[in-house]
Amino acid sequence: MDSLLALGSGFLVALEPINLLFAAIGVVLGTAVGVLPGIGPALTVALLLPVTFRLDPGGSIIMFAGIYYGGMYGGSTTAILLNTPGESASVVTALEGNKMARAGRGGPALATAAIGSFVAGTLATIGLAFLAPWLVRVAVNFGPWDYFALMVLAFVTVSATFGSSPLRGLTSLAFGLVLGVIGIDQLTGKARLTFGVPELLDGIEVTTLAVGLFAIGEAIYVVSRHLHAPEKPIPVKGSLWMTKEDWKRSWKPWLRGFGFGFPIGALPAGGAEIPTFLSYTTERRLSKHPEEFGRGAIEGVAGPEAANNASAAGTLVPLLTLGLPTSATAAILLAGFQQYGLQPGPLLFAQAPDVVWGLIASLFIANTMLIILNLPLIGIWVRLLAVPLPWLYAGILVFAAMGTIAANPSPVELIMLVIFGFIGFLMRRYDYPIAPAVVGLILGPMADNQLRRALQISLGDPMILLENPGSATLLAIAALALILPFATKQLRKFKAEED
Amino acid sequence: MSNLSGRRVDRPAIIVGVVLLAAAAVVAYDANNIHAGFTYGISPSAVPFVIAAFLAVLGVGHFVAAFKEGLPTPDEADWGAVGLMSAGLFGLIASIAFGGGFILGSTILFALTARSFGRKALIADIAIGFVLGLFIYILFNRLLGLGLPSGRIERGVLIGLDGVVGWVSGLFGSSAQ
Amino acid sequence: MFKSFGRWVAAGVVCSLLGAGGLASVSGAALAQAQLQEMKITAPAAAGGGWDSTARALQQAMTEAGVVTSVQVVNVPGAAGTVGLAQFVNEARGRGDQLLVSGFVMVGGILTNGSPVTLDQVTPIARLTGEPLVIVVPKDSPIQSVQDLSAAIKQDVASATWAGGSAGGADHILAGLFTQAAGGDASKVNYVAFSGGGEALAAMLGGRVTAGVSGYSEFEGQIQSGELRALAISTAERLPNVDVPTLKEQGVDIDVVNWRGVMAGPDLSDEDKQKLSAAVETTVKSPQWQELLKARGWTDFYQPADEFAGFLKEENTRIEGILKTIGLVQ
Repeated sequence: MDSLLALGSGFLVALEPINLLFAAIGVVLGTAVGVLPGIGPALTVALLLPVTFRLDPGGSIIMFAGIYYGGMYGGSTTAILLNTPGESASVVTALEGNKMARAGRGGPALATAAIGSFVAGTLATIGLAFLAPWLVRVAVNFGPWDYFALMVLAFVTVSATFGSSPLRGLTSLAFGLVLGVIGIDQLTGKARLTFGVPELLDGIEVTTLAVGLFAIGEAIYVVSRHLHAPEKPIPVKGSLWMTKEDWKRSWKPWLRGFGFGFPIGALPAGGAEIPTFLSYTTERRLSKHPEEFGRGAIEGVAGPEAANNASAAGTLVPLLTLGLPTSATAAILLAGFQQYGLQPGPLLFAQAPDVVWGLIASLFIANTMLIILNLPLIGIWVRLLAVPLPWLYAGILVFAAMGTIAANPSPVELIMLVIFGFIGFLMRRYDYPIAPAVVGLILGPMADNQLRRALQISLGDPMILLENPGSATLLAIAALALILPFATKQLRKFKAEED
Repeated sequence: MSNLSGRRVDRPAIIVGVVLLAAAAVVAYDANNIHAGFTYGISPSAVPFVIAAFLAVLGVGHFVAAFKEGLPTPDEADWGAVGLMSAGLFGLIASIAFGGGFILGSTILFALTARSFGRKALIADIAIGFVLGLFIYILFNRLLGLGLPSGRIERGVLIGLDGVVGWVSGLFGSSAQ
Repeated sequence: MFKSFGRWVAAGVVCSLLGAGGLASVSGAALAQAQLQEMKITAPAAAGGGWDSTARALQQAMTEAGVVTSVQVVNVPGAAGTVGLAQFVNEARGRGDQLLVSGFVMVGGILTNGSPVTLDQVTPIARLTGEPLVIVVPKDSPIQSVQDLSAAIKQDVASATWAGGSAGGADHILAGLFTQAAGGDASKVNYVAFSGGGEALAAMLGGRVTAGVSGYSEFEGQIQSGELRALAISTAERLPNVDVPTLKEQGVDIDVVNWRGVMAGPDLSDEDKQKLSAAVETTVKSPQWQELLKARGWTDFYQPADEFAGFLKEENTRIEGILKTIGLVQ
């Protein structure tokens, strides 16, 4: 009950008119910058952090919370409307979201993303307020072997994005895995597949691959068919707002998305991408309309977006309780706290309870403000698709290029973007799925590193993966996930024969 | 599929198969060149070798597929349009690489992309592309503090911008006094 | 004068748009004595990183202290700063208005990446800040002191696992140097590289490794709360107000600081070098810079151009030696 009281007093601080104003400014700035493609939440926070320094600590932290959540929101808008994910955690959102937008259902897609983010963000903030100390103890005990097992599970579930042919799906995945090898190996400092090009030493940027394959590849594909089979995105068809059916199909994915996002986000090396993969697969398996997946299923937007935002709040668990920055965004948040003279960590709750609870209260307020700000904006956003096709794609290409060079102003990065664009075009032409390549690039290096860390600590003994209950359980689930679809198919066949 | 003796081999599938085998060879060759660098656990070349094997299997898989169903037959493509859009993309790269700057690059990209979709009003599209590039450049450079690649146009823009703001501030300054 | 005033108002308008009015709070008096009109600082890392924050702090201090009228920060990320270095050497040749942020990590990066461009090609201007590293063990560890850790290493270098940041970075180098000093075989050091202080810290708290290395500020909270036991700090002298002994105090002759500094381009005229050094010196001595150091928790590690050049040479030799021993450089 102490927590409740403390949270109450936190709200009293955060609800002061001047602090509400700071929150509103933060939310608007965060959304405005976060919506630019290529500028993910980490860069958004880094760019806007100096804005808050001149305020008193209370006000600046409140504005800061607004920027943080605002930046998270912005990322999904371009993924849905322009097929240009601004950050790796929005890649999955683009899969179904953009298909919906093209079919005139951009309104419901943006709405389910916004409301899902709100619901999951609010739940996760509650989780942060009340479960943080308990959750963090579990999270810290997650070893490299457990992470490796989690990656294996994520790999297994990727098959949901393979489409019609496992051969082509696996080829796309392998493409991503090869890209993942490129660069300096983190554990040994050895360069792999860099061929002496210094720009390759840092590896392939996920957003460069995603924007190249998704946005540029699609632009080339659409123009190649323009003469013979012109395509015209429909800005609005049917209701701009979510229908009753949409609500019915969305609320469970929101909750499940939170269930994946919050705990995995709280893991020090969990990240925001894995929960979105897991959520997408789960929704696809559980959906009553599996045939709509790949053509614009609302569950495929609702779940991953909720997971994405819940993991953002999850990241705050180790940050506030341990002072552990577990993502690029969190590292910048940490720098921000230190700037205000606060040292996040085990003592923060004890030393500055008013600040912590004020922050948590402002996260609630920021989240609420975001939904109030974003829902009316949806009507304006979907109008983007009414722009004539030549200008729409010309604009998409300019924005995609802008995002890439804003993050890294080098011609080499642009050349890679364009090469990925052509590969994306060819993949579309011959019906290779795009998403597995991005998944391979994200998961490949993570799995490689965690496996080697595990074996380095065990001095080469592979049994460490099975001896630990956490990794053993996750590997068992992965094995089940792999076998179960085949088994149920066989069972159905068997039953059909029996009848 | 009806005629077994004269069955067609799917060329795209063969090409992808060859590319995959070549990639497998490159990855394996590179992994083979990583020397030591680790003392415990497994080598940094272990996973690349696994990936190389995976690629090789997929390559063979494509050869098998080439004799069976092959890859899906793509729709007819308008290569002229693809060429125009590619020219726009390469124009952007060239502009950034050789010091033309972001605004020139995005103008080229915008105009050629719009043209590849069949628009004829090239001058109008150049103007739109220029204004869009200008707007983005000023937004990034001045409001966000991120320096996009600059060429002559950008330097001119910044000087011009300073002049305008200086003039406006001069008005303000005199009215305040 | 009118033009530069206009620039400032422009910056003021822009900043107040963003609500960051402070950035432009330059007084007319300070402006009058500006030593340089324009300056470009290259941060060889992405926005938000350590070198970037140094570059932007320098930008802020230089303009606020009125040393330079307008400073632009350019990010050229990649490969421990070597991509930025290569570009800088090309662009800043003989230029008296360009600086590059550099540091300990770049010295190691040049060696491990086999970069064709080295720090010999640039002109050192000043060392600015330094971050001490700290060696810690989990609170339940039987290891109580530096001597215990040395003994554990001597007994079995393989099972004495270390956690820290990327391979070849400052953390790794300290682990190597310590193992060597403890009488263990440094080529066999079992150093588990994590992708940053956060993950390494989690490994420490989970008690999965014997010891950990990181920047002091990253582990500060845990050390204060007692979750981690700090065995030693890596600088020659103790940190003010921090009750952690140095390695030297405990008989281990190692002194490592994760320093950052600024360089100018190659072939710089003596006059330009003087001007740049003077500008940086005025900035570093300004109250604005001191305030920034305090706000960010950085230690002042200022060293002027000539001493810094000598320091850089020694540092290079030492880092190359240990990287060869660890096996990261052939």
